[in-house]
Amino acid sequence: MRRPRWQKVLADLWGNRTRSLLVVASIAVGLFALGVMAAIYAVALEDLQRGYAAVNPANIAIQTSLFSQGLVERLQQVEGVQDAQGVRLYSTRLLVPPDEWIAVDIQAFHEPANPTVNRLVLIEGNMPTSKDQIVIDRYRFADTKARLGDQITVELRSGRTRKLTLVGIVQDQTIGAFRGAGGFFNAPVQGYVNQETMESLEQPLPKRYNSLYLTVEGNSADPIYLEEVAREVRRVLEDNQVQIVSTALRSSTDHPNLYLARALLAVLIVIGFFVVFLSGFLITNTLQALINQQVAQIGIMKSVGGRRVQIAGIYLLLNLVYGLLAFLIAMPLSFQVAFWVVDYLTVQMNSSFFGYRLLPEVIILEAVIAVLMPQFAALPPVWQGTRISVQEALSGIRQDHPPHQGWLDRRISRLRNTSLLLVISLRNTFRRKGRLLLTVLTLSLGGAVFIATFNVRVSLLNYVDQIIRYFLADVNITLDRPYRIDEVAALVQQVPGVKMVEGWAFARTELVKADGSVGESVALLAPPAESPLVQPILLEGRWINAGDQNAIALSELFRERFPNLRVGDTIRLQVNGDETDWVIVGFYQLAGKISGLAAYTSYESLAKLTHQSGRSIAYRVVSVRPGLSQSEQQALGKAVEQHLERAGITVVDMTTGKDLYENAAEGFDVLTAFLLFLSLLTALVGSIGLTGTMSLNVMERTREVGVLRAIGASDRILMRMVLLEGAVIGLVSWVLASLAALPISKLMSDAISQALFGGPANFGYTPLGFMVWLAAVVLLSISASIMPARNATRLTIREVLAYE
Amino acid sequence: MSEVVKVFKNAGGEFTALNRVTACFYAGEFVSVVGKSGSGKSTLVNMLTGIDHPTSGTVRVSDIDIHRLSENDMSVWRGNNLGIVFQFFQLLPTLTLLENVMLPMYLIGKYAPAEREERALRLLERVGLRGMEDKLPAAVSGGQQQSAAIARALANDPPIIIADEPTGNLDSRAAEEVFDLFTNLIDAGKTVLVVTHDISLAKRTSRTLLLSDGELINPWVAHALPRLAHSEMLWLTHHVQPVSYPAGALLPIDDENSEWLWLVTAGQIDLVEATTTGGGRLIASLPGGSFLAGREIQPGWLAHAGADRPLELLVVAGADFTHWCDQHPAVWTGLKQSRRLHPFSGGQ
Repeated sequence: MRRPRWQKVLADLWGNRTRSLLVVASIAVGLFALGVMAAIYAVALEDLQRGYAAVNPANIAIQTSLFSQGLVERLQQVEGVQDAQGVRLYSTRLLVPPDEWIAVDIQAFHEPANPTVNRLVLIEGNMPTSKDQIVIDRYRFADTKARLGDQITVELRSGRTRKLTLVGIVQDQTIGAFRGAGGFFNAPVQGYVNQETMESLEQPLPKRYNSLYLTVEGNSADPIYLEEVAREVRRVLEDNQVQIVSTALRSSTDHPNLYLARALLAVLIVIGFFVVFLSGFLITNTLQALINQQVAQIGIMKSVGGRRVQIAGIYLLLNLVYGLLAFLIAMPLSFQVAFWVVDYLTVQMNSSFFGYRLLPEVIILEAVIAVLMPQFAALPPVWQGTRISVQEALSGIRQDHPPHQGWLDRRISRLRNTSLLLVISLRNTFRRKGRLLLTVLTLSLGGAVFIATFNVRVSLLNYVDQIIRYFLADVNITLDRPYRIDEVAALVQQVPGVKMVEGWAFARTELVKADGSVGESVALLAPPAESPLVQPILLEGRWINAGDQNAIALSELFRERFPNLRVGDTIRLQVNGDETDWVIVGFYQLAGKISGLAAYTSYESLAKLTHQSGRSIAYRVVSVRPGLSQSEQQALGKAVEQHLERAGITVVDMTTGKDLYENAAEGFDVLTAFLLFLSLLTALVGSIGLTGTMSLNVMERTREVGVLRAIGASDRILMRMVLLEGAVIGLVSWVLASLAALPISKLMSDAISQALFGGPANFGYTPLGFMVWLAAVVLLSISASIMPARNATRLTIREVLAYE
Repeated sequence: MSEVVKVFKNAGGEFTALNRVTACFYAGEFVSVVGKSGSGKSTLVNMLTGIDHPTSGTVRVSDIDIHRLSENDMSVWRGNNLGIVFQFFQLLPTLTLLENVMLPMYLIGKYAPAEREERALRLLERVGLRGMEDKLPAAVSGGQQQSAAIARALANDPPIIIADEPTGNLDSRAAEEVFDLFTNLIDAGKTVLVVTHDISLAKRTSRTLLLSDGELINPWVAHALPRLAHSEMLWLTHHVQPVSYPAGALLPIDDENSEWLWLVTAGQIDLVEATTTGGGRLIASLPGGSFLAGREIQPGWLAHAGADRPLELLVVAGADFTHWCDQHPAVWTGLKQSRRLHPFSGGQ
């Protein structure tokens, strides 16, 4: 025979299935949200780093003049070097039919089918083992509009083209690894060929390499060790008359989009923190209502000798069953959704996903929360509920609680010239203030996170806007070699709609340390002095003026890396093998960590150093009409390109200003999509909370619904009454959500910015989030109330009042 | 209501709460429904208010078969035609007394919005609650809550007021006051039906229906033999047969070994003792509402139908009556006690 305690638990569980479902759903949704976040947290970073390490990524990347395979083999003998691989990199364009040319980086290895460093993962097709075969990385593959087996037309130096057969799609997780963080999203299409194919692409000395990728034997996460190995490799290269353009170092777990993953996880932690509270509120609310419904039964149990501890034990046992049921529902669901999300992120962030698996730590976390949280949530109401005297419980009248009207009640009772329906709805809304508070808090927090998502996006775009201040031209053109600026400018000015042309100088330089060793790469940009195409955000000092000699303005990352640097100090850079001193005139803000070390000088200073005075490879074109759309910029760019090519000048790359903006924003879109997912998750918790509250409110007021029915309330009036109550809760929560959204937006923006840019956010907000949430919360509130409202109209009066 | 049956089904089986109940209520009547707990009083009222549906049978109010209405239409019909007063008052706790009274007007839209408050105040004044209109139900006494509930029931000026144990939660003084209100409503032309278990209050009504085990007890049985238990009254209700005699007819008092029971429903019985002179001495005249049992008859007694008009009797046949009295000795004791209430009016 079952013990009475279990009998009661089972009766409560099965006897009121709607209520049980509601309680289990409330707990489950909270567990689910937490589980999803915990599982993503556990999997995303681990898979990203494991997957990256698995491709044996280079720890040292050196851009050089051409060198042979023999030298690569010699470098492999250098102490500390584990693997060495030479790569021939050729940046050109490929044809997207019918007539669009897009940039492509083509790499040739010694053994493309099996590179030792920066291994490729074959997704589809085959590796390029024969001549005139190419494989393309999957991320920008869609841009080529090609299919496996298609012929891809590649532009050659001579202006002629060559067709390569697309034989495979690969994943190269190292894209962007050596272009500074954020490089992945700015990288063009990546193609991989063998050395014979590279020969057919009109490359001089095709079997030589211009990039060297090395892995180290020791701890790749130790920058000092990496630098020591790199120094030795550079020495060997220099001893062999190989000119070094740049050197970059990276650990084996430092995926190029790790910064983004960290930003995602930072958000996850912030939102996860709120979701714990949301779920806690939700569960507390539901269980409090449950206990309230059981007051009479508590009285009966007490009247037949039940002790407080015994009665509390029954409810805690019931909660345990609810919690376990919720766990059984939430756990597999949370894993499923978390893995979907990780799978999506894997593609977006060019990382790896090691598949569906059990995560014991997440299961334990969910199980512990499923067991403990309902108990903690229910303990106060259970304890309080079981304190009630038999007389109070059975009569439903609390002797020690005289009716008390607070400030809010008095304000509402003064609503005279208002619809009685509104008065009822308003008073019902504020009737159970504790429950209302928890519901509103749940919904408000969900809403605040939702609104914050929009604000965070604005903050992120503020950064993009900040970057764009340094790339204000409508069209950016790169030529195959330096041309005389006055010649190119005169040609470009002939294109209708062109207002202005500037030739910029650019150099990859390396910082020379105090001990004379060469360190990190610095991108040195050199527009003409006082160019209107750069609107710097100065943090300290000034910008480059006309007539400045070897003056340099440094990005804010220098201040983080070298805190002792001041305006007026001198830094030494190695440019084209020559060391030059530069006087710091100012520090400007770019985009923190994401932009890498960058600096500006005047065109005149850099061109003189590179012996290219009056000549340039890179041009910036500005339209007569400001504010061109992306397609207008494209059209202008094409016109310029065609005009130059007619004049015999080869254009290697043409990028519009809007393209740059979009590429910069692309990485943030992943983040925003993820944020939106999380905010929808929190909104889901909030709306389930509201549905629960409304259902419980209706359940508790069935008697009143019956009374209303008895005195003439129609279906329409009952529906309106419940929906109005839901809408009032929604609107109250919206006001609170709007207020809470500001600090939460700041917190989330700062967390992301810290991860992305290494500094607090360039905070911004948009009314859009507030408006969207207003619409959403009204819709949510009404839809959350529809079911309870329909239940109210379906309640036949006999169920309520017939036999008391 | 006609042949109304209500059967409840649950895991324990079926339970007939109302068994072929037929009753009529007329405009302006003040009717009470009395019965013990579980006798079916509330079920009967719920059939009349449309709160519950009969298993079979019909309930017509005016010309409307109310149980053919949908829940929604029923609600609106109820709002227009019925004022219901509940045992537990059932005022909305979040509304003031005034708002509670205004609520039915708002729901039905019967009065112009501007009129509603004034009318509600008048109704509250009528039930003695003027000055308390802004109080919440929890802030007033039970009697005051019930008065407010009566005011609410009158809000839409319905022709019928139905009250289910309206005094069940009130002290005797408050109960009297509530009944005073009902009496006033009758004076104002309303029809009032009150369910109560309080016989003394039921006596203030013009007609009482007595329910036992879901059936109406014959009112003549209840009236003539008030000391019988309800189950005994119900037994009698099941076993009585109407019999008529012309005025002045000699009644067969020696039938079936003199074991019978008569209940007078019209006319009267003249009980006479034969005298040695060949005449007769009138022992008692038993008018409508009286009873006579065969075992009360003494040798030499004669019984006649009254000379003025025909006699209508409800008769329990001898064998049934004998068997019943043998099985339940308390019955005869109850009959004797009832006799003390209605002693022979003649010479004995």
